[in-house]
Amino acid sequence: MTTQAIGTSRGGIDAGIAVRAYLAVTGIVLLLMMLFGFTMRLAQAQWINIEPNTFYMILTMHGSGMVGITGLSGAAVMWYFVRRHVPVSTGVFVANLVFFLVGALLILGSGFIGGFAGAWTFLYPLPEHSGGLWSANAAAFYMLGLLVIGVGFLLLHLDVLRGIISVYGGLGAGLGAKQAFGLAPEKDGPPPAVAAATMASISNIVGIVIGAVVLVLMLVTLYVPSFTFNTLLAKNLIYYFGHTFINVTIYMAVIAVYEILPMHTHRAWKTNRAFYLAWVLSTLMVLTVYPHHLLMDFAMPTWMLIAGQIISWVSGLPVLLVTAFGALTNVYRSGIKWSVAAGLVFIGVAGWAIGVIPAIADGTVIVNSVMHNTQWVPGHFHTYLLLGMVAMMLGFMAYIGGGRAPSRLGPAGLWTFLIGGAIFVLAFLAGGAASVPRRYAVHLPGWLPYDRVGVIGAGLVVIGTSLLVTRFFLALRSPMSGDGIR
Amino acid sequence: MRRIARYKLLLAACVAWACLWLPPLRSMLESDMTLHMTVQLPLLTAIGVMLAMVLRPHEPCWFADADWLGIPGVLLAIFTTSLWMLPRMLDLALGNVSIDLLKFASLPLLAGLPLGLSWPRVPALGRAFLWANLISMLATMGGLYLGAPQRLCAYYRLDQQSAAGTALVAIAIVLGLAWFIVLFIGAPSPAKPRSADKSRINERFGWGASHTFPRS
Repeated sequence: MTTQAIGTSRGGIDAGIAVRAYLAVTGIVLLLMMLFGFTMRLAQAQWINIEPNTFYMILTMHGSGMVGITGLSGAAVMWYFVRRHVPVSTGVFVANLVFFLVGALLILGSGFIGGFAGAWTFLYPLPEHSGGLWSANAAAFYMLGLLVIGVGFLLLHLDVLRGIISVYGGLGAGLGAKQAFGLAPEKDGPPPAVAAATMASISNIVGIVIGAVVLVLMLVTLYVPSFTFNTLLAKNLIYYFGHTFINVTIYMAVIAVYEILPMHTHRAWKTNRAFYLAWVLSTLMVLTVYPHHLLMDFAMPTWMLIAGQIISWVSGLPVLLVTAFGALTNVYRSGIKWSVAAGLVFIGVAGWAIGVIPAIADGTVIVNSVMHNTQWVPGHFHTYLLLGMVAMMLGFMAYIGGGRAPSRLGPAGLWTFLIGGAIFVLAFLAGGAASVPRRYAVHLPGWLPYDRVGVIGAGLVVIGTSLLVTRFFLALRSPMSGDGIR
Repeated sequence: MRRIARYKLLLAACVAWACLWLPPLRSMLESDMTLHMTVQLPLLTAIGVMLAMVLRPHEPCWFADADWLGIPGVLLAIFTTSLWMLPRMLDLALGNVSIDLLKFASLPLLAGLPLGLSWPRVPALGRAFLWANLISMLATMGGLYLGAPQRLCAYYRLDQQSAAGTALVAIAIVLGLAWFIVLFIGAPSPAKPRSADKSRINERFGWGASHTFPRS
């Protein structure tokens, strides 16, 4: 069991305020992005009418914004808990938030002022071939926004790894590699938060460095179109960066499970050889699994597609299994007194575990060739991101803002979020199973029933999240709540 | 470093400088774009780093104070190396001996020397960020050389330009892997922080008594 360690850094910045600022920004941006998503589902259901250009611009903002805000909130979870074990800089943590806000403004400007609608994937050479819908400057603002956000995350992850190396000697020790291979006693291994933060930081640094390369190259090609490079290589680099970044958000958020559940069950989270092995294997697999996004690219080398499929089947499993099994054993017969925070992080593990199943199905070439451009894909990724990652993050928010928040808001928000989320993702998955395409602004009449059920789910998700975020903001008036348990 | 060792290092730097300038080696290295960019330029910078090791004991206090966190020195080194990454500058150096002389003077004295003097003053996070940026920028430059539609240097063929681009990308990958392996293995020392270590870490990171080191 650990206790709160919130102090003031040498720069005089209060860590508690910094964490709350992260969560406040997260709450606002998350709700804004959810409203964008709700708007798109309303338009697909033909309950409102928006121009296709506007739809694709909103799609771009929603995708980029959600990836960014889950990254930011995951970073808050990781930083808050890892600083209990290693020294990290509050100044760098705050700098990441500032970089994020500047980058977010550039991205929002590129969309709402410049009309950029090239999707979060910004696949080369689409940004420079807009057909007159947006200018090179708008695309450049979008990419600069991503670069600025990347710089902030790079600094944060480097600082976390610096702290881990200063205490544990190396990244291998931070990951528990020796314990994983039976070369050192399990009891000497790092705490779960440190192992997870090591994995997340290694993976994200690699992804961000590769993302910076492709972003700078694409910025050059925007203004000097005679510079060209291999489009398939560009797609590989973009997905390496994008897949790694969004995947790591879950691995950062899962730290909340390792820390918050044991506080409620009064049982320490057991780490053993299997736990450390899972994190070592996941580090390798997260960095090599991205080709499953390119299964439909026939020009890809066959060995990469085969590797992508096989790694995709097993990539998420090691950490998921040890986490799900650990959560169940931690809770089972513990006499746990459930709180909103504990409930949400537990739902998060379930959402993650359930969402992986349709994802694995889609990671199979023969299924992918039929399902990849259908709503099956947003169905599976919304399951493990919305009901998995976001649930864990909302659990962390409830934990931090436990304090004196009104008691009814939390349970009402939790149940509305859960029921709405389930309806929302099932509508996507059912639509995908019925071959409803994804990313279409205009839907055929036969697809509308799925869209309309999806609208109801999305609406409930927005209401549930609003209640939980409101609860957090109301609790901001109280001092930092310590263990946050209610 | 002892005085004799410093003299030996100074001698080695001067000999290396002269050897790189003399025609056989210079002609060989400058005849190929890849060798020019990935061997000659880094070696000239390395000579400056060697000079920095010799001069560091004689560095005046005001200079060290002015070089706050190593930022001015590192910036000077970045600007100088960036200049010599431009294809136009490579062309000028090949076509004009005085520009080539400028290259031989500026890379050791305005890139390697300030880098060598300032690097120890750069905080660990700054050094890590510079490494990450170097790797990223090398790969980007490589990508640009590979993607350029025409020859960027009048003195080098298109195939040499592509080879230079591939070499830069390869160096970026090797540097990235090497950095990761070194950090992954790390120091053979402590597995877990003891309480004594915690106070040492607090001190090292400049956290005063007000900071509660996290309890694990």
